Amino acid sequence: MERKASGPLGESVSPPAVAPGRRRLLTVVLGGILTAIAGVVGAPLAAFFALPALRLSERRWLEVGRLAEFPEGEIKKVLARPLTAQAWPYETPRVTVYVLNRGAGKFTVFNIHCTHVGCPVRWNPQAGRFFSPCHGGVFDRDGRVLAGPPPRPLDRYEYKVEKGVLYAGRAYKVTERLEFREWHHA
Amino acid sequence: MAPRLSRLLDWFQERLGTREQLTCFLYRRLPEGTTWWHTLGSAALFLILLQTLTGFFLAFYYVPSPEHAYDSLVYIQNEIPFGRYVRGLHYWGASLTVVVVFFHLLRVFFMGAYKYPRELSWVVGVFLFLLVMLFGFTGYLLPWDQKAYWATVVGTHIAGTAPLVGDYLWRILQGGATVGARTLGRFYAAHVLILPVVLYAFILVHLSMVIYQGIAPTPRRGFDRIRKEEYDRLYEASKGKGETFFEHLLRDGVVALPLLLLLVWMAAAWKVPMEGVADPTDTEYVPRPEWYFYFLFELLWQFPGKWIPVATFYIPLAAVLLLLLLPFFDRTAGRSPLKRPLASGLATAALAAIAFLTYQGATAPPPPKAGAALSREMAALPPALARGRAVYDAQGCSACHVLKGTGTAAGPDLTRVGARRDAEWLKRFVRDPAAVKPDSAMPPYTDLPAEDLDALARYLASLK
Repeated sequence: MERKASGPLGESVSPPAVAPGRRRLLTVVLGGILTAIAGVVGAPLAAFFALPALRLSERRWLEVGRLAEFPEGEIKKVLARPLTAQAWPYETPRVTVYVLNRGAGKFTVFNIHCTHVGCPVRWNPQAGRFFSPCHGGVFDRDGRVLAGPPPRPLDRYEYKVEKGVLYAGRAYKVTERLEFREWHHA
Repeated sequence: MAPRLSRLLDWFQERLGTREQLTCFLYRRLPEGTTWWHTLGSAALFLILLQTLTGFFLAFYYVPSPEHAYDSLVYIQNEIPFGRYVRGLHYWGASLTVVVVFFHLLRVFFMGAYKYPRELSWVVGVFLFLLVMLFGFTGYLLPWDQKAYWATVVGTHIAGTAPLVGDYLWRILQGGATVGARTLGRFYAAHVLILPVVLYAFILVHLSMVIYQGIAPTPRRGFDRIRKEEYDRLYEASKGKGETFFEHLLRDGVVALPLLLLLVWMAAAWKVPMEGVADPTDTEYVPRPEWYFYFLFELLWQFPGKWIPVATFYIPLAAVLLLLLLPFFDRTAGRSPLKRPLASGLATAALAAIAFLTYQGATAPPPPKAGAALSREMAALPPALARGRAVYDAQGCSACHVLKGTGTAAGPDLTRVGARRDAEWLKRFVRDPAAVKPDSAMPPYTDLPAEDLDALARYLASLK
């Protein structure tokens, strides 16, 4: 095969002489057009794609259940439901949470996802532990890592109690000492 | 040739130069000694075209929303004529494509075909391989069944462990804080619109480079070790002696046909695995990735806690960079795998590691059986041991141990633990593992009632 520059019909092509001033003008005009396209189409498309994902969701309270349903010292699995109906996407009409009643009106509401790679953890009441089914992650009743690869304790939800009903809000990560570290999706 | 056809060809000839282009394309000479291995690229292209075709038609009925995705697939499978078959072609075709593309990559690697002057063909090829894997990842979610949903939860979590940008990457992939409607929309748009356009653009570049440079010679008879300077001359000389591309096409066809028959047989004979509709509230589900991501899932075992990003980010990133840059740091003259033992050795080691991890993933024990099967097993045991078996289940031991082929292999397999340890040792160990074996990762069971511990130890000691 020929290894020199050639056009579609085979004749060789050499770049025509263009005056430097004219070349600069062409570069500026073309650059300007490309910038304009990037500005009015590219930037909005990027925002369209990424911003809904990055926006911090506003706090939506989930109704977890009446306080009487949570005996002191026990952990219960609950299907929590959003208080307000949401327009499309109607995602996660219900959310599973684990609720620990720590007594004296204090609760811990756990996120079900293992902090390793997100498999759903199971509460085992006899053993008093949460087990992840994927890579042997084990958490104690406060969500501390007992064994396996999880890098941090179970995530939690903020909560409030109103008129004898427990509500869960946004999820957050905790430190090794189970103190607030950051919102889950900051 | 019939005069009418000839006239038609003439018409096109005047406008497009069809005759020269076809002659140039079909009758270009290939180097001497092209092999059957040289058909893997065209086999990959054939499968990709087939995936595109079946994908087009699946899109007529599939609905990408969490409320309807699963039902629309059930509808395709149960109501549409040939629905099960068409979906089967697409489903099994995906796995076959991954396999063939991977073998194509291996062929090029072991024949040293990424060396001068085909460095860029290799780079584009690596991108094509990554694109095919992305097709697999995005397509896996679309059925919106349990395994699709949970594999994606794990997949996006893995992306989320990337340093610095992990959280953003995670949310951008999911389209929000959870895997939901926006995730499905994104994966669908990527799978059917964006990835195909990018894939075909890369294929176009890949193929035009093959046509421009010619197919890589088999690394023997002078090509087993060759300097850049001598390459052009020798290749030019070799080209005269080989078959034409037209003849090679026959080989391609001979490979494509059995491949197609294999796929047809798979689609007709095998059921596409489909689980219940995705349920984000289920805490009993055990997520598993698709088989070609097993190696990554299994690699996670090796890197706990703060080391997670090594398995999820640094090793994959290093592997991709190594592949992409391979032709630029491996500039030795050897092309035959035997003339470059270091490269061949390292690649074989990497292959063995991937094969081993994939095998581990494929043979991972299933979760323990519950309900009827378990009570039957308990009934077969003497009461003294049955109690211990019950404690084993109640305490969740199977979350970390394998017993008689079920459970999770985080800790030692206990199927024959009685042959290694007696009841007394087991009791002390379960109570406080670290006191008996300081390097044990097992959490202590200090509050287990004494009689439960006795029963458990007696049961475990009986396993010989």
